Amino acid sequence: MSMQTPKQLGGIDFGLMDPETYRDISATKVITADTYDDDGYPIDMGLMDPRLGVIDPGLECRTCGQHSGSCPGHFGHIELAAPVIHVGFTTLIRRLLRATCRECGRLTLTEMEMEEYREELDRAEDLGKDPDTVLKAAVRQARKAGSCPHCAEPQADIKHEKPTTYYEVQNVLSGEYSEIIAEAMQPDEDDEDDEGMSPQALSDETGIPLDRINQILGGEFRPRDDGRRALEKALDVDLTEEDMNKLMPSDIRDWFEQIPDSDIEVLGIDAEGSRPEWMIMTVLPVPPVTARPSITLDNGQRSEDDLTHKLVDIIRINQRFMENREAGAPQLIIEDLWELLQYHVTTFVDNEISGTPPARHRSGRPLKTLSQRLKGKEGRFRGSLSGKRVNFSARTVISPDPTLSLNEVGVPDRVASEMTITINVTDRTLEEAKQYVANGPETHPGANYVKRPDGRRLKVTEKNCEELATKIDAGWEVNRHLIDGDIVIFNRQPSLHRMSIMAHEVVVMPYKTFRLNTTVCPPYNADFDGDEMNMHALQTEESRAEARVLMRVQEQILSPRFGENIIGAIQDHISGTYLLTHDNPHFTETQALDLLRATQVDELPEPDGEDETGPYWTGRTVFSLLLPDGLDLEFDSSAGDTVIIEDGHHLQGTIDEDAVGAFGGEIVDTIVKQYSETRARVFINEVAALAMRAIMHFGFSIGIDDESIPPVADEQVDEAIDNAYGRIDELIETYRAGDLESLPGRTVDETLEMKIMQTLGKARDSAGEIAEDHFADDNPAVVMARSGARGSMLNLTQMAGCVGQQAVRGERINRGYEDRTLAHYEPNDLSAEAHGFVENSYRGGLTPREFFFHAMGGREGLVDTAVRTSKSGYLQRRLINALSELEVQYDGTVRDTSDRVVQFEFGEDGTSPVKVSSSEDFEVDVEGITDRVLDAEFDNDSEKEAFLTPSESPTNLSEHTDTALSSEVESDD
Amino acid sequence: MVDVSQHELVPEHIPIEGAELDSVLEEYGLDRTDLPEIKANDPALPEEAETGDVIKIVRDSRTADTSISYRLVVE
Repeated sequence: MSMQTPKQLGGIDFGLMDPETYRDISATKVITADTYDDDGYPIDMGLMDPRLGVIDPGLECRTCGQHSGSCPGHFGHIELAAPVIHVGFTTLIRRLLRATCRECGRLTLTEMEMEEYREELDRAEDLGKDPDTVLKAAVRQARKAGSCPHCAEPQADIKHEKPTTYYEVQNVLSGEYSEIIAEAMQPDEDDEDDEGMSPQALSDETGIPLDRINQILGGEFRPRDDGRRALEKALDVDLTEEDMNKLMPSDIRDWFEQIPDSDIEVLGIDAEGSRPEWMIMTVLPVPPVTARPSITLDNGQRSEDDLTHKLVDIIRINQRFMENREAGAPQLIIEDLWELLQYHVTTFVDNEISGTPPARHRSGRPLKTLSQRLKGKEGRFRGSLSGKRVNFSARTVISPDPTLSLNEVGVPDRVASEMTITINVTDRTLEEAKQYVANGPETHPGANYVKRPDGRRLKVTEKNCEELATKIDAGWEVNRHLIDGDIVIFNRQPSLHRMSIMAHEVVVMPYKTFRLNTTVCPPYNADFDGDEMNMHALQTEESRAEARVLMRVQEQILSPRFGENIIGAIQDHISGTYLLTHDNPHFTETQALDLLRATQVDELPEPDGEDETGPYWTGRTVFSLLLPDGLDLEFDSSAGDTVIIEDGHHLQGTIDEDAVGAFGGEIVDTIVKQYSETRARVFINEVAALAMRAIMHFGFSIGIDDESIPPVADEQVDEAIDNAYGRIDELIETYRAGDLESLPGRTVDETLEMKIMQTLGKARDSAGEIAEDHFADDNPAVVMARSGARGSMLNLTQMAGCVGQQAVRGERINRGYEDRTLAHYEPNDLSAEAHGFVENSYRGGLTPREFFFHAMGGREGLVDTAVRTSKSGYLQRRLINALSELEVQYDGTVRDTSDRVVQFEFGEDGTSPVKVSSSEDFEVDVEGITDRVLDAEFDNDSEKEAFLTPSESPTNLSEHTDTALSSEVESDD
Repeated sequence: MVDVSQHELVPEHIPIEGAELDSVLEEYGLDRTDLPEIKANDPALPEEAETGDVIKIVRDSRTADTSISYRLVVE
């Protein structure tokens, strides 16, 4: 394989291209609309000319001599029979036509104005503003000029008919000029003083000889422009009418050719690189064959690319145009052909122009032409450059495995032996590499490919693996299977934040799913109801090192979004720690050791006491074994008590979501900030393991009976709801009597609605309270709600007490039939049940009407989430595009790519959200950290003291008098 | 009319010039046109500020006590 020498780009210029350049770079002129001849060979000077590059294997390119694959392809060109407008530039063409003189081509601005716009352009460049706004302002100013300030030619208005037709709108002498003049010379009937104007008086006033006036009146002479103006002035009439004069592309080209370079520069156009007449195409570049390859179908028929089809059309029309013109066809036919040519070139560039029917394939499918290849999500930019398909990746369903560390990922063996990592064989890795190759591609830690030092890649097969293994030597490369401990990148879409892509260590496992520790579900927002995730194997030593240091899960425990941990205990873990610590139960030695069997703790401390079964350990003592030494904390738990931890001993309080949960568990957060990521990883793993053991020890299940309340309570709930109904009936009565007083800023109707909603809300709350009173503290649903593991007291209320008011758009349900929600109710029924109040509980069961209202409220929730995700996705895309180029510089400022400052200090405080304390109440114990580091570093106090005392070594002493140093040297001996 | 510049949530806007301005530009290695901008008609600006002036803004910050930024007054 020959490598080309690398070349460096000096820069990229965006601008128009000179038609001469098109001809210069063209490999051939294309004149034949056909592609291949009957023998299947490309036709010379046809669209598949071998000089335009080769796509068929075996053929040689007639321009560069290379074969398909290495020949990049070469442009050709079509000489257009007549100039056509490039659709991409129609607005700029319109602006230039409006801003320049039709006669001399100069910008219709005075020198002073031009100078002003030049300055404004410089300013826009300084401030990083869009020069387009200056261009627009200049064009607006130039358009105001009635006549050219340089040659005094009056200017016509330009009308643009989309997409590519331009008209010049001129005022010319009306056909009925004599009648208008005669009419104006008559005396005004309503005004007695007006005697009209005689031809003699008209002649005197305008300075036109009398006989000329008579000829004009007789319609025999058409007055010239100045004569017309004099007549208009004398008679105060308008003698003109609008005339639309179509500007052909050739006219526009001639016009633009006259515009001097200096005038274009006022508009911010670089005349050197982009002359305006180049926007009118006289020659069309033909894309290389490699850009529009033809496909051979199964039946041997060739199918051409859309671009080729379009080019065929262009050449055909071009040919016909030339033939007709040479034959001297009438102007009308020429113009028709010209328009057709314009249409084909337009759709060649962009086939989605509004107002133009898209060019279609024979099947009726619109052709995919140049613009369509670039635009949109599947276009070249978003589809092929910003995002592309990659090798060394795998995707499968995920499932949980609580025995894995949160840093690990379980990889199915069949994935591990398909995906490879490249290792360079050296003297030190030789034996290892040989073993991999010897195992072959099917035995697990094997190899799939090897690369010889000469660059040749060989596939390892069951047959050749033994033989290849003997040949392996330093300098070879071996693509070995993934093995335990390899680092890979793991990702779940949508990748909404940086924790959506993290590095994991591989653990090869049987079966077909990726396995992950349940504590990493929150950052990925993953669950196991069929979610799939992607894995990428890293191919270079640098990327593996970088991923291990920066991207590993334990480095991502703290979220930069809110500066607290996003990885921590979830769901059953939290229920588990709650059960373990809430009532501080006692455990025997066997039980305590069983709880800790999945952790690294293998020794129990002194027992907390002794009861009838012997020595016991409390739940809090067991939990304390996971805490790092020296940890001091005090905070309020969501279970409602105060948690106190002193020197790594949990003394009081319930460990729940606020302590160890994902999304800001205080203990996890503190351990990451005051100890280390590694300590926090160990802690989270062990909390999860302990909690699972704990929840299994106590047993935890939930059934329908757990949400039932005694009949007494049911009656109380019914009573509370009946009371509410009573109050509502009163309200409605007052309202009907016209006695309801409206609240400030509301109508009486709104007041009634509000009061009803309030009353019903209270009814549900009291139903909830009644239900809550009848639940035992060890009710699993209550445990989950109190600990923050899952669900809320409201959920419980709805299950056991009363579901409550259903709402659509924040109001009681008011839609359906005229004046009523359902046919079951009287019109204008204002009662609670007619507007969606569900008095039953989920457990008790809803009535059909309640069920219907409930579905209405539920539907709104579903629609809202669907709308919200798509809206927020688009918003996020736009934010990312706007912010992606911002970068924190070494001086702490945040700047964009043109070095303009966005923030003078990152985040206006220069701090990382994950390095500061999570709230004002908790300070990061910096002194504690330094003490711990120093204690670990020095064996005894005197060494530590010596390190901490500031040593002032004398630097200005002569060597002869330097006693301090010499004595030190001596003392060392 | 309410003078928003007196409101407690509006940070101090102080025009700077001469040596102070030069030292700021020097510190960050900037041209004044590289600064963030503020519209001349922004009600938070003091009366005397004109287009082309540089304004120093001192904001309160929970994490950094005060945070200082600079803006160029533009039309």
